Amino acid sequence: MKAARFAALVACFTSVPWPSTLALAQQPAPPRITRFEVSNATARLEFSLFPGAQAYTLLSATNPAGPFAPDTGFFLASYPITNFFTNVVNNTNVIFTNRATLWEWRRTNVAGAAGFVRLEATPLASNALLAATVLNRLTYGPTPDELARIALIGPDAYIAEQLAPWNITEDVALTHSNIPAIEAKFRAADQIVYGTNAQIADLRAWHVLRAVGARRQLLEILLQFFENHFVTEYTKSRSFFAARYDDNPLENALATQLEYLENARWRTALLNPACTFYDLLEISAESPAMIIYLDTVSSRGDGTRVANENYARELLELFTMGVDNGYDQNDVTILSRCWTGWTVELFDPTNAFNPFASKTTNRVANLNTNFPPDDYRNLIGVWARRYRSDWHNTSTKVLFTNKFVPARFGPPWTTRTYGTNTVPGLYQLVVPGRTGTNGIREGYEVLRHLADLPFTQEYISIKLCRLFVHDDFPNPNNDPTQTNEYNFYNYAAGNLSPEAELVKACMLTWETNSPRGQIWKVLETIFKSDLFRSYGASQQKVKTPLEFVVSAIRALRTSTNGSNLAGSFTAWTDGYAVATPLQRMGEMLLFDRESPDGYPEAGPPWISAGTLAERVRWAQSFCIPAGQPGHAGSQAGTGNDAQNSACDPVGLLRAKLPASAWTNATEVADFFLGLLFPGVGPGNLQFARQAAVDFLNDGSADTSTTYRNTPFAGLPVSQGASAPYNERVRGLVAMLLALPQFQEQ
Amino acid sequence: MHRFNLYTRRAFLDQSFKLTLGVALSTLVNIPFVMKRALAEGNIGLPGPDGKVKKLLFIFLRGANDALNSVIPIEDPAYALSTTRPTTGIGIAKDTENAINYADTGPCLDLTQWTLNPNTRLLQPRTATDPTYSYDRAIDLGTGFAALHPSLKFLAPVYNAGDLVFVHRVGYPNQSRSHFDSQNYWESGAPNNNLVRDGIFYRTILESGLANKSPLTAVSVQSALPLILRGSAAAMTNLADPARYDLLGVPNTTAGNLKADQFFATGNLLPTPDRKNRELLALQFQNLSDTLQIFSQIPFSAEFYDNENTDQDAPYNLFPTSAAQNGGAPFHGGDSAKYVVDNSTSAYTFFKNLKAAALILNKTDAIIAGTEFGGFDTHSSQGGVTGAHANLLRRLAWAIYALRKYFLTQADRCTWDNLVIVTLSEFGRTTVQNSSGGTDHAEGGLMLIAGGGVRGYGKNGSTTGVFGCSPSEFSGANADLNWVPGPRTTNPATCGTMWAANVNVTQGYLKRQTDYRSVLGEIIRKHLGATQSQLNRIIPGYNPSGDKPEPELLSGGLSSVDGTKIRGEVGFLI
Repeated sequence: MKAARFAALVACFTSVPWPSTLALAQQPAPPRITRFEVSNATARLEFSLFPGAQAYTLLSATNPAGPFAPDTGFFLASYPITNFFTNVVNNTNVIFTNRATLWEWRRTNVAGAAGFVRLEATPLASNALLAATVLNRLTYGPTPDELARIALIGPDAYIAEQLAPWNITEDVALTHSNIPAIEAKFRAADQIVYGTNAQIADLRAWHVLRAVGARRQLLEILLQFFENHFVTEYTKSRSFFAARYDDNPLENALATQLEYLENARWRTALLNPACTFYDLLEISAESPAMIIYLDTVSSRGDGTRVANENYARELLELFTMGVDNGYDQNDVTILSRCWTGWTVELFDPTNAFNPFASKTTNRVANLNTNFPPDDYRNLIGVWARRYRSDWHNTSTKVLFTNKFVPARFGPPWTTRTYGTNTVPGLYQLVVPGRTGTNGIREGYEVLRHLADLPFTQEYISIKLCRLFVHDDFPNPNNDPTQTNEYNFYNYAAGNLSPEAELVKACMLTWETNSPRGQIWKVLETIFKSDLFRSYGASQQKVKTPLEFVVSAIRALRTSTNGSNLAGSFTAWTDGYAVATPLQRMGEMLLFDRESPDGYPEAGPPWISAGTLAERVRWAQSFCIPAGQPGHAGSQAGTGNDAQNSACDPVGLLRAKLPASAWTNATEVADFFLGLLFPGVGPGNLQFARQAAVDFLNDGSADTSTTYRNTPFAGLPVSQGASAPYNERVRGLVAMLLALPQFQEQ
Repeated sequence: MHRFNLYTRRAFLDQSFKLTLGVALSTLVNIPFVMKRALAEGNIGLPGPDGKVKKLLFIFLRGANDALNSVIPIEDPAYALSTTRPTTGIGIAKDTENAINYADTGPCLDLTQWTLNPNTRLLQPRTATDPTYSYDRAIDLGTGFAALHPSLKFLAPVYNAGDLVFVHRVGYPNQSRSHFDSQNYWESGAPNNNLVRDGIFYRTILESGLANKSPLTAVSVQSALPLILRGSAAAMTNLADPARYDLLGVPNTTAGNLKADQFFATGNLLPTPDRKNRELLALQFQNLSDTLQIFSQIPFSAEFYDNENTDQDAPYNLFPTSAAQNGGAPFHGGDSAKYVVDNSTSAYTFFKNLKAAALILNKTDAIIAGTEFGGFDTHSSQGGVTGAHANLLRRLAWAIYALRKYFLTQADRCTWDNLVIVTLSEFGRTTVQNSSGGTDHAEGGLMLIAGGGVRGYGKNGSTTGVFGCSPSEFSGANADLNWVPGPRTTNPATCGTMWAANVNVTQGYLKRQTDYRSVLGEIIRKHLGATQSQLNRIIPGYNPSGDKPEPELLSGGLSSVDGTKIRGEVGFLI
């Protein structure tokens, strides 16, 4: 047997020093040679990859002490592999030859004495890494034009722009005629809603179209976040109205209106530079959608009636403090009494903002004599929040009795006072029992108190960090006997992880600005953190179904004439076509989450073979030209995936690449890899690049037989639906969108 | 060679994929996957003497099922108090009919054979034209204390066959009343431990030694892979929609599909740097690639019918996935009075998923399969005999009835005798109804366990299939495990069981008698075949030293966490 004449050096080093601000804990492991074999004068080598590598260099030497010189003899080579599947019908196995290709670094004609190989990785420039993270987090994903723009102005200027949406001129309404058409169907809070007004499909389409095309991208991200944080369920509102009407379009429109109104209020609030968490919380609490969703609408505390606990529990657990973070079951029960009397009612439009009004007596023009005159079907008005003092529990309520901010918070949270308490750290809240219309004040007192608590500062900061950085910010734990969990957020003890440091920084921003709890300032803290700007955030999150679909459309979207007007784009959707795919990719029904925890921010709940199958299918259908089998319902029984979402990747190529590059497989592959995976780094994309080039040169799937044996360079450039050039480019883009890497951001 | 010097999961995957050709050589001569288990102990996934593998089907009832209105403590006078669940609200009245000889049908009144005469209020033999649900009383289970919600009528034949048991008052120490924490704890098998991030059935599969060897080990059929099957070292499979589990090509032709599949298989193996979710993504993409061809062979759209007349009527479709297949509808012109479950998309989606789960267990090597349905968070307008909760119970009861019929008549790789069905739900609901006609979050819940190997009524000398819902279940030193009838008192010794989890809470929390881990543990060890030491790894703290110091999950005693006395394993398997 021939002895190995090469030996791998296991330890390899990157050639560029770390940015000085990067904490040691945030440095990824250096790349490592994981396989090295020599046989028949051929060396084969594989190595683990380094996040965001610009390039790798293999160096060789005959002596372990060096000198090492770049070894240009290594090249990427593929080898086919075979697998099989079990035929469950007859319990036999079917061999699948050459199903996939693997890659290795290979060097032939290895001869001579023993040699040594060293690997060096060159990281991406730090601005390039940050730019990718910014576009992935502060927007619904890079577009070709935004990639160019952020490279021009730099990521920090881009962040500053997005942190001040009031200074950005929003022209999204020009990008699709459905936006103004849908906006014409929305109604203000004091306008009567009819069945002809916006339906839930309209609201979803509008929301998606803004996500795709808005210039105020971070604002749209935040609106989706808070809509999902203060979750309400269209279907529950719809059921509420269905019990009062026999009119499907009207029930739909009324339930949609409640979702629209809270969204519109949050938008207005967030466009205030000093918007606080309290502002958003109050909008949620006042929203009839929330009052219906968590059953306050029917909760009474008068007499011996037992108040409904649903809203009180989720207000503490999900909307403010976080689960078991500073409250107990007794607080839930007592808090539920504060909300008794908050209900909804049909008012005269002039009373839309008067919660103390009574049910309207305005009749419809044509009374239906089958129903009593005051039946809702015979009345007309606006549905709004009502406060009924006769349902209110008028006892004195003491929340958080004798409870103190836990020691782990430390100053300033343990040393300041809360509410009217004079003892530092005591956060008890005494709500005097109130009668008459004064009873409505109890809810607002509670909200003010909750929004100010360190628990709320902490939990909301954690949720924002999970949104913008990565998933692994655990929930806090106040039980000192659970040492690991308690110490993770033990701000007083110090020695914090980068994650806990960031949460603390967010809380300090929340605490020390006036007014407290300013959302935009907390976000700025996150975006300026080492964790966000380093490998700690880069590509560390899985896209939700909404983020996946919208980011795919954006990645292929440019306005071919630069007008940013409807009809000029190389990727588009009518907005309506996105709802069904989102449902298939994991029941992501916008504005209609059944469970009050909202859709998951973390990746694992979205990842399964079945939901990934739907993502792959959608990407493929999206890339099949409209009208071709598989795009919209023409594949028997199983199609209808992308519908009115479509793209023209060849049009994009023509707009962005010089004509000389159009038939150059490597340049075309690099173009799309750069668009879709900007944070991955060219060094890490070279395998995908090889596979992409092979794909483009493979004519086996061409519909037309003319060019089946013709490599990519020989194809006539065409956007024709069945043109081989168009088919190969579209097929490649579809498969790149189906890669695991495109599920990450 | 160096190829096994691996340090990332990703690399392991690459390796296992590369080596599948070698594996194929052994499978070509029909050596089942179980023979390839490396150094695994126990019998999980091993065929028994009949050549069949013991299997498990789970159904998670999301939102916290109201245990007290499912198996009702009908003889507890406190249940019927006007302050508890007034029968004008969500309470169910007792069965006061006397015209039936229970010896005819078994201990549980079988309303597939009997019906109520609305005029005389007497029971009479059922006819084909009677509505599916007309009985408005709790259905006597023959225990002298417990009764079924009338919407659970299809459980009666299963119960009377001895194939169904109820374990009432299940929970865990320091019960969380958060849906999300509590569901996580049920699924992770580690209450109040937020550091355990993988599932109890996932760990069961790991112990089988089949993970990453057999492409299908455990499968869920629902919108997302549940935590109970999730973990970082092996992929369990989730089917979001059995009818759509295939990929397209661009163009969408045979050649286009093949080219796309090759790039897809290649793309999944492209080397990438490690990321936080990368292992899970890689595993699930690989699992998708490996299972596409398997699922494409399973006839998910086949229809299955009862093997005998149902409800004295023509045979019903076992898995109603549309109004036309719902109960007696095909035979009665779509009469909604003959629907076996509510005519709703969510009901039909559940039965579509349930059918797929049953087919997967029956047609593949999968050991565990399951699904879920929601809507149990009945804070308002819960309803009583009819209404929101009643509709959910109808689905549950029909599901158990249908699964039994399916596996009794269609058994291929899974027989009814080799199957256990178990239901899970995060907690029970308050004893006292709230002002919205609903119930809020509480403690003790209910589990159903069904299967040919279950020791229900009449099997192995068992005189009942109801556990945890009787004032005379235990005597002597364990008498304090019995149900204490009566209202709330602030004295723990005399407080009624429906309030006793916390005697200070006026809405009432049902006190637990059994830890849910003991129920799952008994199934995993006695049915699936884990050894005790495997079980101790699957459910941390189950019986760590083999005997003491924490024996409560296995053999009962005082919980070391909250001092509540619990019964340990129930012994509901033959």
